[in-house]
Amino acid sequence: MIFKTPIFDVKNLSFNVSGQKILSNISFEIFNSEYIAIIGPNGGGKTTLIRMLLGLETPTSGEIKIFGKKLKNFKEWHKIGYVPQRASHVDANFPATVQDIVNMGRTSKRSLFSSMGKEDKEIVKDSMTKMGVLDLKDKMVGTLSGGQRQRVMIARALASKPEILILDEPNTGVDMVSQKNFYKLLGRLNKEENITIVFITHDVGVIADDIGRLFTINEKAIICNDPKKAMSCDDMSKLYGIDAHLIHNHKHEHKEF
Amino acid sequence: MLEMFQYDFMQRAFLAGVIIAILASVSGTFVVLKRYSMMSETLAHSALVGVAVGLVAGYNPLWIAVVVAISSAWLIEYLRSSFSLYSDAILAILLSGSLALAVIIVSLGGAVNNSLFSYLFGSILSVSGNDIITILVFGTISLALLLTFSKELYFIAYDEEVAKTSGIKVKLLNYLLVTVVAIIIALSIRVVGSLLIGALMVIPTVTALQYRVGFLQTMLISLLVSIVSVISGMILSFYFSLPSGATIVMCVLTIFIMSLVINKK
Repeated sequence: MIFKTPIFDVKNLSFNVSGQKILSNISFEIFNSEYIAIIGPNGGGKTTLIRMLLGLETPTSGEIKIFGKKLKNFKEWHKIGYVPQRASHVDANFPATVQDIVNMGRTSKRSLFSSMGKEDKEIVKDSMTKMGVLDLKDKMVGTLSGGQRQRVMIARALASKPEILILDEPNTGVDMVSQKNFYKLLGRLNKEENITIVFITHDVGVIADDIGRLFTINEKAIICNDPKKAMSCDDMSKLYGIDAHLIHNHKHEHKEF
Repeated sequence: MLEMFQYDFMQRAFLAGVIIAILASVSGTFVVLKRYSMMSETLAHSALVGVAVGLVAGYNPLWIAVVVAISSAWLIEYLRSSFSLYSDAILAILLSGSLALAVIIVSLGGAVNNSLFSYLFGSILSVSGNDIITILVFGTISLALLLTFSKELYFIAYDEEVAKTSGIKVKLLNYLLVTVVAIIIALSIRVVGSLLIGALMVIPTVTALQYRVGFLQTMLISLLVSIVSVISGMILSFYFSLPSGATIVMCVLTIFIMSLVINKK
């Protein structure tokens, strides 16, 4: 058996706000080149979970390791690309061209006093090409459509050369055609670029063919290894129920607690 | 028109004015984008407490204004980032509290009202040789810091959380920004006055935003608007014996209104 360090190793994670349980006792691992969708009802804790993985919220209890390091000791944040829920709602007046936004992806990789080098510029151009926004590079972000903005935000995340992309409801405010194209793009990034993808969504039907695992979060987590069967399996029917129980899975084994 | 440069005080005022125009517009770009506009007003009023102490105790008011403004900036940033309090309410409390304290200190100390008036509204007559050195030294350091971290500050202004998850030291840079802004505000009150410096920081950037261009162009337009306003304001102030700060603000407002009309189409 080949031992691999997971990108995320989450153990017994709980999060309470004012005594109310938002997430309780969640454990999972995310490995390199996985393609994972996270679904669940509003207020079920999906976004909170992702925010904890990114160090934006502190868990009430439990442990998160990123690339084998405890979260507080983790420094290589450029390995993680994050596109938040509100990403497509850019302030229309914010003075940023598409190029300005994608350049941001290189900011944390550059040392002090150094401006964008040739390599940085190539990576930015490459990221815009992959996301199909190179033609828009001089356009103001505020003037783009929801779908175009979303692709710009992902191009920004790609410019830091991440090993994992985390997207929170990337299709909010995006039309159906753009959504389908968008999922094709995510699938390509996963397969061709070997980028691990984790995203929160409501549209499981559209993406069920592509994804590797499905996490359903409603205070607890139900992890389904075969999303194609997910729509009919019991786990899904429990998704919106309050008695959801934890099924913890490693790639091909199925344990129930 | 060149006759006004025969006066030493006008040469000093112009030099100080142009440096402040540069500092206010560059820092103002980040202030506006981070929605810190009201913070700049509050810091300007806090700086006034330093001026009052300086006037009464006989120290250089500019130096003490710098110290008080920085302390106030740190307090505001700490309250903003540590507690989910209503941040605009905090600013309103500190703003009026500082002004009240400054007036009471000056009254108790019996300092001349005219001195305080010049710090409130700016006076080109009051810029001394020492002030020029202080403005040059602190101004150069502030500008160097802003330009060094401009990409990071821009990223933070765009989205603080995404910047944080990209490994940018958001907290440290936020403190750095408010410190630099506090210094620039304290330096500016000689020429523009504490009640009006907020306008010189905010209006050039808001004017530039009307043109809907990228970040660098926005900063350059803001810089141009600021320099033109300060120079024309000081010329008008000299010939019509008007308070320099108020005249500068009227000039920048005029350009702002013109930009609004031009870009409305």
